Amino acid sequence: MASAPAGFLDPALLARISDLALLARTVVDGFMHGQHRSLRKGSSLDFAEHRSYQPGDDLRRIDWRVYGRTDRFYIKEYEADTNASVVFALDASGSMDFGSGAVTKFDYGRFLVASLAWLTQHQGDRVGMATFTGELADVVPPSVRHLQLLLFTLGRAKPGGKSRLVEAVDQVGRLTMRTGIVVLVTDCYEEPEAFGRSIDALRMFGHDVIVFHIVDPGERDLPGDLPATYEDAESGTLLPLRPGVLRDKYKALLAAHHEALQARVSGAGADYVRVDTDKPLDAALHAYLDSRLARTRVR
Amino acid sequence: MGFLAPALLAGLLAIAVPIALHLRHRDKDRPFKFPSLMFLEQLPIRTAQRRRVTDWPLLLLRVLALVLLALAFARPVFNAKAVAADGDKSRAVVVLLDRSASMGHKDVWPAAIDSARAAIASLGPKDRVGVVFFDDASEVAQRMTEDKGAATAVLAAAKPMARGTRFAPALRTARQMLLDAPYAAAEIVVVSDLQRSGTAGIAGIDLPTGVTLRAINVGALSRSNSAVRAVEAKRVTETTESGARSMLAVKARVVSRELTAPRIVQATLVVNGRDANTQTVTLPTGESTITFTPVLAPETDVTGTVRLASDALETDDSFRFVVPRDDAVKVALVVPDDTRADETLFMERALGIGRAPEIAITRVRGATIDAATLRTSNVVVLWDVLPSQSSRAALDAYMTGGGGVTVVAGRRLAGVASGTAAPGASGSTGASTSATSAAPERGAFLPAKFTGLADRLADRGGTLTGVRFEHPLFAPFRDAQDALVSARFFRYPRMDVTSDADILARFDDGLPAMVEKRVGGGRLLLLAASLDGTSSDFPLQPAYLPFLRQMVMHTSGRDATPLWRTTADNWLVSETVTDPVVRSPTDELLRPGKDSLARAVPLADAGHYALFSGTATGEARQTVAVNAPPGESDLTPVDPKELLLGVGTTEASATADAAPPTPDALERRQNAWRILLLIVALALVGETFMATRGWRAVARRYPSASSDRSQT
Repeated sequence: MASAPAGFLDPALLARISDLALLARTVVDGFMHGQHRSLRKGSSLDFAEHRSYQPGDDLRRIDWRVYGRTDRFYIKEYEADTNASVVFALDASGSMDFGSGAVTKFDYGRFLVASLAWLTQHQGDRVGMATFTGELADVVPPSVRHLQLLLFTLGRAKPGGKSRLVEAVDQVGRLTMRTGIVVLVTDCYEEPEAFGRSIDALRMFGHDVIVFHIVDPGERDLPGDLPATYEDAESGTLLPLRPGVLRDKYKALLAAHHEALQARVSGAGADYVRVDTDKPLDAALHAYLDSRLARTRVR
Repeated sequence: MGFLAPALLAGLLAIAVPIALHLRHRDKDRPFKFPSLMFLEQLPIRTAQRRRVTDWPLLLLRVLALVLLALAFARPVFNAKAVAADGDKSRAVVVLLDRSASMGHKDVWPAAIDSARAAIASLGPKDRVGVVFFDDASEVAQRMTEDKGAATAVLAAAKPMARGTRFAPALRTARQMLLDAPYAAAEIVVVSDLQRSGTAGIAGIDLPTGVTLRAINVGALSRSNSAVRAVEAKRVTETTESGARSMLAVKARVVSRELTAPRIVQATLVVNGRDANTQTVTLPTGESTITFTPVLAPETDVTGTVRLASDALETDDSFRFVVPRDDAVKVALVVPDDTRADETLFMERALGIGRAPEIAITRVRGATIDAATLRTSNVVVLWDVLPSQSSRAALDAYMTGGGGVTVVAGRRLAGVASGTAAPGASGSTGASTSATSAAPERGAFLPAKFTGLADRLADRGGTLTGVRFEHPLFAPFRDAQDALVSARFFRYPRMDVTSDADILARFDDGLPAMVEKRVGGGRLLLLAASLDGTSSDFPLQPAYLPFLRQMVMHTSGRDATPLWRTTADNWLVSETVTDPVVRSPTDELLRPGKDSLARAVPLADAGHYALFSGTATGEARQTVAVNAPPGESDLTPVDPKELLLGVGTTEASATADAAPPTPDALERRQNAWRILLLIVALALVGETFMATRGWRAVARRYPSASSDRSQT
């Protein structure tokens, strides 16, 4: 898979585009440039298998030819290209409103959701979206016609408030009765085990889950040497400290957290993608498409 | 440098505000927002970093501005240095010479005079010196002068007095002398035995800056001393074969201090100028009592002295006292003819209990009081009866001359008959069953008219309210007011009080209960509050006995006469003595009201003061014994450093300039506040500049690793 031109996916450049639709199209077009696989090729009705008739099955689906040969009822099943429901869940808590570079984590997540939604829509899937803090905030139900509404809602969303990731994920899972793909875009300030259990729940509903873990370089590296008072973006708690003294220990703690998250999410059967806000969006798009291709066909 | 408004220096406390703000700065100002402290809170953080001033220059600038502002408002004034720099001013010394009783110690006084002379002789020719004698008061013996000879000469006139010691008045006098005269350097020299008892009140004294205080302790090395501290003297009646005779029993309390061995001395009791009894006693260290054999006492005032053999301090070896001619208060109790014996039983028994003075009651029946009875009575108590017309003139004269009359009003005076008993059976009282017909006649003698009898049996009796406890009649109850108001009165006369009388207490229904009227030198007390046991439960109350006793003492005009007084007291001679003349122990004649304020006689010397009327001859009307304060017998000195501790120093407002400073000069001295305010303004401008420029003006959004304040 060829890489997209970095210039079109650089977050700093994207931050200057205020129209999310334009941004998404720019990203997707730039990203798709040079990719020669069509997701629609050969995706019409294809025979899959036969199975024994069970009372209640539609009589029209009985393969009479097989009955003629074997004198038994078999049902003919096909592999069908069905429109998948893709729900994007964007963490809009206060911790997402942080950015040491050109964009905040929330902005980056918004770009990501817009781009993925555009991409998804053009693949014929239904797109929906929800932003969440402690609970769901703005909800756009999945539909093939909801892309513009999704982009509009996304453009108006503001970060703030305390995050309760586990409860929010549970509510996201109940957004649609149909199984589909749930894309979580969050900074994952949650205990890995608790978060993993909420992913487990999504998986039990039959959803495919992709977790985009947004990380800012500032929170990753804890730069600076001067004493400063740190304020928790969600709780407002103040903590005076010297980052230069604590950096190594902090980074070790954070790395362990990331590893635990990845292990637990992957263990739950979901995809875990860590994206840094100083990196272009293509890594995230690649990860999504890989996952999408693997799960395009549903029965 | 001084301050015109030093209280405003309290504004310096305001510097705590910027310090506190700077210490809290890092917590409150521009905190760095971070997504989550989830991991940072798990790390050990050195809390010492939490409270630290990070911006010292700005803090110092702000503190400086506040300090200068407080100083400016305190109005600094510069003058002391200018005074000190004036080399033309001479040195000033004030010599304070203690002449209290304790300085009469035989080893002390010569040393004191020598020390004072030496202090004066050590001065230079241009130095100024003043001399102050002091005991419990101060006397300027020599004003500030350069004439050392004159200052030395006044020392010859000094002699110890029988007075107490107080350093405070002397120091104040010296302070004023130094403020009144120019000086470059000043010193106060205290020549004294530095008795500890004299330091009371010294703590509040502030001496001008530049004034030093030097104490020369001339106290005796040996502080052993015996002193007669108090005397107990009373008349006793001794019965012999030839009959009863009045004797005087005297006990003396002696205090001995720091004796190396018990002292054997002769103690003499002097009565009316003659040695009456002499005993040889052994005095141990501490207190001891000398009991003299009772001696015959004349009926008149007895002036006595207890004298010990002299020791080094003679002043306290003699103790003077006076036993009044007869210490019993004579009460004439006038009762109506129909009075039952039990009516006055409670009162007579209660008055008979008291001692010092004893109260002797003479019972008179009827309403006629003869002149002889009045002459021998200090108080006349009219028990529910009015004097006959023939006795009224005598009673009026009696009261005008200082006598006291108490009228206890009951059912008879109220004009209500009780049972079959006829009110005022003698008829001379004018009492009748008609209140209105009797009122005019009674009103002429009493300060009230009776309008009937109040019966409070239905509501369990009335109580006293509105009692004027500040009145001497109620002096025993000032600290126990409930004791008096708990008595209940079931029947009492209703009275309309005339305007020339004072109502001292009322019943709880508003009717007057006790009324007083001054008549010449005496007084008339009218009680509607019953004193018998049938109209009230007052006789059953604890307050009954002290009230009756105080009633008699107050009405008689007699207080409990002390056997002696101390020097520095004032003696208020009786107003009943016309043209009073007082002969002092030094045979000086004083005329109260002419030689002294009102009728107060200052008791300056130890000895006997005698009061005469007109001329100082014949028998004295009253005699008062005066002794030196007992504290003078305690020769324990105070450490000179301790004396200095109590005295503070302050900037002198009146200083060396002989001529008053001109308004311009005063203005120049006080100009500092303008300069300070200017500096404050500059500091605030600088503070504004510093706080809004450079790195302080930039909100620190993100602590960059390479952040450097100089760069931002």
